[in-house]
Amino acid sequence: MADISLQNVSKSFGAVDVIKDISLEVEQGEFVVFLGPSGSGKSTLLRMIAGLESIDRGKLLIGGKECQDIAPGQRNVAMVFQNYALYPHMTVRDNMAFGLRNIGMKEKDIEARVADAGRILEMDALLDRRPSQLSGGQRQRVAIGRAIVKEPAAFLFDEPLSNLDAALRVRTRVELAQLHQRIAATMIYVTHDQTEAMTLADRIVILNDCRIEQIGTPMEVYTYPASRFVAGFVGSPGMNFLNSDVAVSGKEATATLGDGSRVAMSIDVPEGGTYELGIRPEAVHVVTGEGDTTGEATVVENLGDRTLVYTRLGDGSSVIALDDGRSQVAPGDTVSLRFDTSQLHLFDSSGRAYHAD
Amino acid sequence: MNLARTRRVNIAGAIITVITVIAAIIWAFPIYWGIVSSFKLEDEVVRPYIELWPEHPTLRHYWFALTQTQIGSWYVNSVATALGVTVLTVSTSLLVGYAISQLRFPGRRVLWWLILASFMVPTQVLIINHFVLIANMGLLNTWAGIILPQLIHPVVIIVYKQFFDQVPKEFREAAVMDNASELRILSKVYIPMNWGVTTALSIVTFIWAWNAFLWPFLAVTRTEMMTITVGITQVSDAFGVYYARQLASAVLAGFPVALAYLLFQRRVTQAITLSAGIKG
Repeated sequence: MADISLQNVSKSFGAVDVIKDISLEVEQGEFVVFLGPSGSGKSTLLRMIAGLESIDRGKLLIGGKECQDIAPGQRNVAMVFQNYALYPHMTVRDNMAFGLRNIGMKEKDIEARVADAGRILEMDALLDRRPSQLSGGQRQRVAIGRAIVKEPAAFLFDEPLSNLDAALRVRTRVELAQLHQRIAATMIYVTHDQTEAMTLADRIVILNDCRIEQIGTPMEVYTYPASRFVAGFVGSPGMNFLNSDVAVSGKEATATLGDGSRVAMSIDVPEGGTYELGIRPEAVHVVTGEGDTTGEATVVENLGDRTLVYTRLGDGSSVIALDDGRSQVAPGDTVSLRFDTSQLHLFDSSGRAYHAD
Repeated sequence: MNLARTRRVNIAGAIITVITVIAAIIWAFPIYWGIVSSFKLEDEVVRPYIELWPEHPTLRHYWFALTQTQIGSWYVNSVATALGVTVLTVSTSLLVGYAISQLRFPGRRVLWWLILASFMVPTQVLIINHFVLIANMGLLNTWAGIILPQLIHPVVIIVYKQFFDQVPKEFREAAVMDNASELRILSKVYIPMNWGVTTALSIVTFIWAWNAFLWPFLAVTRTEMMTITVGITQVSDAFGVYYARQLASAVLAGFPVALAYLLFQRRVTQAITLSAGIKG
């Protein structure tokens, strides 16, 4: 049974729709990440699950119980805020105990839960400090501890790492993944950072324009993006897009690129015509012999283990290719590019994706 | 060039300092004059020329005020009514400020405009209504009669609302997620996060209430129920006004407030700054 179930939920602020008819099932113990650009509705959707925003239409079930009209505190979910929202006048211990005292739990039980959370998050020594005496990472941990003590049905994270510096973000991300493995709780996590989404999620829900564009495992959304938007949004550096005329013959297709070069692929598209051809940089190789097309290297980024070669094709379109770490390519060189045709995608004018076999 | 600039700035600073000192002397001189005069003999006070120091310093006027008047009762009345006004004003304004700032209910905006509009109405305009109302309630010559009409202080509500508005909404949301009731959110989150403003407003409200004259003067006719500001008008007898005696009483009346100000100087200044932008 799904732990959290959204059934055709919608919301609008006045005349502006902010969530459009979304349905989603989150399984018990699953780590689901809402990924999308600013204004896509991901935070609003999380806040609707938390109860901080009302649900105008549709149903929300948590643990099988209809919750859309229940007060936030009674939904048995805990939320970790982007800026932590730790009460500045309370110690770490009191911050964690506050929610438990509100439901009238015995002090002895509260002490035990706080001590447990302190142990899980390795912050036993910090319990009597105030938030102002903690570093950013420690505050983040307290915010998570405040959620853990409630032993909720689900944890809701609203961009919890965005206030941390880069190094701490990586470390906290790993800690979060470990925490999820340890307590095996259902977690919903909002971010616009695709690295966080790819590394943490069991499943990613990609939102755009207040709708779900795709739901899938990190590798599914990366390898088989459902739309032009998902293909462009997921992956860094982003997917290459080239205008092409596609001729179809059964399950085979030939795409003619803007510079006149032709790429044959095995793909199931309903009809020929104008498509955008998509290919990730790691599927475009710099080769010494003849390739599928040629381009002029404009920028070469050596990243140590690999080299990104930014090229301009004959028609002026840009393609990022991958070469190995010891690449000899220099800006201004003409390079041959070979496409891994099993990793090609075609996108029709509506943005719908077709994937090569 | 820099030197010239610094010198120009310093000259400007010196001029401002001189002006400030002169203004402070002009402002403080009457207080000095009052205090000094309270130690003079009555005939020294009415001399036509200025004497900056008493010729024969005496404490007899203080002795008179402390032994021959009901100043003890007046102190008690002032403390009780000023404390009553402070506690009730601050606690009710706190609730109103919180409700208007944080809760969403029908008529909230109208209520807010009414509170702002009540600023435009000076207390003096309402004083006859207050008198009739308090008289009909049989509360003249009582502490309650002195306190009740003094509980209207929109500025305290406005300052609280502004402070509560500035608390990031995540704190409230975190408390809501923590299953806290409105009363607990107010008492455990919002009030502790704003202790500074509560202290400052309490001190200023206390000083306002202690210094109040017009309403206590109307509401009380029995000498033993007077507050100290009203009581000092009674330090005269059938033979006329004794300035030194009245000034001694006035010094005694002002002493607790001056002491409170000295003790809580920083908070009082903060409160005056807080309300400066809004107080009419």
